[in-house]
Amino acid sequence: MIHHHPDEALLLAYAGGAADEAVSLIVATHMAYCQSCRARAAQWEALGGSLLQDLPPAPMSGDALQSVLTRLDEIKPEERRVRPASRDATPQVLRNYIGGDLRDMRWRRMGPNLSYVPLFRRGAVTARLLRGVPGAETGAHRHGGQEYTLVLKGGFSDVTGSYAPGDLQMMEGDMRHNPVADPGEDCINLAVTTGPLKFESLLRKVVAPLFGF
Amino acid sequence: MLAYARNASFPALRQTYRRMGQAWRLPQILAMTPDAANALLGRVARERDRAAFASLFGHFAPRVKAYLLRLGAPGPLAEDLAQEALLSLWRKAHLFDPAKASAATWLFTIARNLRIDAIRREKRPELEPGDFLPQPEAAADDGLARTDEENRLRASLKHLPADQSQVVELSFFADKPHSEIARQLGIPLGTVKSRLRLALARLKRALGEDE
Repeated sequence: MIHHHPDEALLLAYAGGAADEAVSLIVATHMAYCQSCRARAAQWEALGGSLLQDLPPAPMSGDALQSVLTRLDEIKPEERRVRPASRDATPQVLRNYIGGDLRDMRWRRMGPNLSYVPLFRRGAVTARLLRGVPGAETGAHRHGGQEYTLVLKGGFSDVTGSYAPGDLQMMEGDMRHNPVADPGEDCINLAVTTGPLKFESLLRKVVAPLFGF
Repeated sequence: MLAYARNASFPALRQTYRRMGQAWRLPQILAMTPDAANALLGRVARERDRAAFASLFGHFAPRVKAYLLRLGAPGPLAEDLAQEALLSLWRKAHLFDPAKASAATWLFTIARNLRIDAIRREKRPELEPGDFLPQPEAAADDGLARTDEENRLRASLKHLPADQSQVVELSFFADKPHSEIARQLGIPLGTVKSRLRLALARLKRALGEDE
């Protein structure tokens, strides 16, 4: 059961195509776990279909249809892709993006309890996988932009609540928290930030930029 | 980019916009109900029916082109991508599921992804049907219910207050995050989000949903 979802504006940004690559990745991966967000995103795509229908048409060039018709015979129907099942329950949309299962990733250490895999960076926007052993703390921080965190394995807790696989946490600006990995198995998250995290401890302040946080 | 497209300061674009004005008055281009479009797409999927494809092309290619122009694509690129979108329709018609979306919505998603790939040069992580869900998907309703839902959505979209429909449209046509839309309109981000919330709540009521 999923308890934490992207808000309506984020789903609309995904469905409308305004969301960037990193944000699209985390929303799509959340939807791999969440039937209700799939249905909501489908509604906002239908809104896109409605807007498309109502746009004043821009005429195509005179020979456009003819040139497209001559190309039809070269085109074979696209086959449905069948892929081997994930060995560690990694959602397919994420596997397509990271090129394998979570267990295939090369994790980089960041202190004794945390490791990460960088996935995407453009300007201030980043996407990465984060892994913490039970009890590992991120360190108390606020946010220079938005921070979206999707749990893939295990879970974490902070002042805002507890998060389990499929849950998506949205934090921004001055909202302060210190996520701690729950007991049991390692916690693995997909994390997207649109601005730097503002850590409180001096050590984290110094070290975080070295790892691109 | 959007402002550039709207000002249409280049001769080719200006001409395109003039032609758009003429096409708008031609009734035969407008006449295709969602159910008719779904039926044509079904014929393409089952029989590789070229005449059905040509009708879909006549209706949708100019709309896809208009969508791409609104997003700031130069005329020749918008023309190429509109052709590509319709070729994708031919390639993928057998994967179309009328229980999930109307033909227009399906084509919108194709055009959206082509645009992100070609203009923004980013990947579009896209959920595949059947990805991972631990519980089975709810039984799909039929295509008629889906097109009915979209008709209601379309009607209620026209009745939104102007400030609300503006932020909804910009979510589809501006290719920027809501923070930049706020800057463009000169209003706080919170106002953009609250207008969106109001608009989406109204649209959901039109679909007969509680919030």
